[in-house]
Amino acid sequence: MNEITLHNTLPAIFAGRDDTPSDVWLTELAFERGHHYLITAESGTGKSSLCSYLFGYRIDYSGTISFDGKDIRSLSIADWCRIRSSEIAYLPQDMRLFNELTTLENIRLKNDMTGFKSDAQIDRMLEQLGIADKRDTLVSRLSIGQQQRVAIVRTLCQPASFILLDEPVSHLDVANNRILADLVTAEAKAQGAAIIATSVGNNVAITVDRHLAL
Amino acid sequence: MGLMWKLLRKNVSRAQLVGFAVANLIGLSIVILAIQFYTDVKPVFNDEESFISKDFLIISKSVTTAGAIMGNSGAFTDAEVADLERQPWCRRVGRFVSSEYSTLAAMGVSQNNRRAMRTQFFFESIPSEFIDIDPDEWEFDPENPEVPVIVSRDYLSLYNFGFAAAQGLPRVSEGQAGNLPMSFTLSGNGHSDVMPGRIVGFSNRLNTIIVPEQFMRWSNDRYGDGRPQQPLRVALEVSRPGDVKIDEYMKEHNYEIAGDKMSSSKAYYFMTIIISIVIIVGVIISLLSFFVLMLSIYLLLQKNTRKLQDLLLLGYSPAQVSKPYRLMVISINATVLLVAILLMIVARVYYMDTLSQLGTKGGSLLPAIIVAVVIMAAITIGNLLAIRRKVAALWLHKS
Repeated sequence: MNEITLHNTLPAIFAGRDDTPSDVWLTELAFERGHHYLITAESGTGKSSLCSYLFGYRIDYSGTISFDGKDIRSLSIADWCRIRSSEIAYLPQDMRLFNELTTLENIRLKNDMTGFKSDAQIDRMLEQLGIADKRDTLVSRLSIGQQQRVAIVRTLCQPASFILLDEPVSHLDVANNRILADLVTAEAKAQGAAIIATSVGNNVAITVDRHLAL
Repeated sequence: MGLMWKLLRKNVSRAQLVGFAVANLIGLSIVILAIQFYTDVKPVFNDEESFISKDFLIISKSVTTAGAIMGNSGAFTDAEVADLERQPWCRRVGRFVSSEYSTLAAMGVSQNNRRAMRTQFFFESIPSEFIDIDPDEWEFDPENPEVPVIVSRDYLSLYNFGFAAAQGLPRVSEGQAGNLPMSFTLSGNGHSDVMPGRIVGFSNRLNTIIVPEQFMRWSNDRYGDGRPQQPLRVALEVSRPGDVKIDEYMKEHNYEIAGDKMSSSKAYYFMTIIISIVIIVGVIISLLSFFVLMLSIYLLLQKNTRKLQDLLLLGYSPAQVSKPYRLMVISINATVLLVAILLMIVARVYYMDTLSQLGTKGGSLLPAIIVAVVIMAAITIGNLLAIRRKVAALWLHKS
């Protein structure tokens, strides 16, 4: 997948509010493979909605969203399963980890399906993010910041053309923000993937090509 | 799969599943045991030689005093036979044909050219498919005449336990009776011939003396007066023995049913009804248990909604996500099926002890097993469809 385009898109809850200026809503917008995007927004301006549309689990919007020119409303469940496991790597804002599983089990639940990373690669990422000692700890016992790092490792355990990160650093300190940025950037570079990150403030350490205000 | 099961089994309610399994086991066992019992008992009622052979009735018109005085023939007209044939419970009608000439039978060892016992005799014939036995020599050859006869087993009993006992004569076994020298003197229409005869079998069903139809035609042609003859009795093969409609029809037309066949038929009829009720009860229990499992699955999926949606977000397909639940349902249902069949077979061993005394080896296990498999397959398919629908409904999140 090379391009995601938005044409006159607007979340249904914003219907009628076409006077609000936005770089994303009610305009023409294309995310291209290989580029880095940062979408900043106030809370409640549809940041997570945008992610849920791009990941196909909500369709309450008007206008059109296309992947390589194909309207995503016409995609089948099988298409979406393929996209979710090999085209778009997604880190949800609320992380969606499984509390009853350990760090490693959470990661393996994804990696067993994609078979994308080796055990050694996973270990290295955990080490880089400073949570290698938590690999057998239940996720529910981790701090929010630690959970966010587990979630990012899990997100990267798949091939991707687009890496979609919804507030990836909201619970990270400056050092870890830097480490995460390096990790994600390296992964995107290796795969030639785009990065689309959202943030309530402009505090993501990833170098971006284009800055969009929602 | 291992991790997913670890994740999804959390809210599985053991009590609910055990409740379902036990309820369904009881329901299914009742249904298939009833069907198996029916299959095993049926031969007792159906067997040609069985003591309660059910589906043949022999009827005649009631002999009333008035009718006798008026010279009413008591024969069945063609219209009456046709009406019988039209009844929904009637499969076939067989007409008895009577001999139209005088017959003298002589039996026993001959002394001075005279048999020990002589008596006036009569013959009847009926299509061979109505005869409950199949003797070897059921043929007649005018060139080499010997008359094979089948007599009612009641006659032999009457002789052995009545006549022989009273007269101090020796009893006769069925085998001996077959070897008893007999001769028949047939006369009429200007002919009179003596020909040898032989008892070739004893019938439980036919309370008369039966000769082959072939012989009856030949002898009526030769010795009879050629008048067209209507049957005084007819044999019926019925499809629903014991049906009250048969009884009503017979009463309405003043027909009498020979012997007490209808009472065993009624027993069979009531047994069919009782077994049907038992089967219905079993089916209702099975259905209720099916809904218990449905409810349990719905609750389980409801409680695990978030986890299932998260798995779908990871890229698992609805089929992969629902696989643990599908395997759970299939293994529970398969276990219930196997245990129910096992219970049925064990229960059968016990009642077959009693049934075998009635001289039946029982029926095939196949019908009950097929029904069990069909019921469980239907329940399983219902469960799987419900799981599929529920998981598919989780695909889109509420905004």
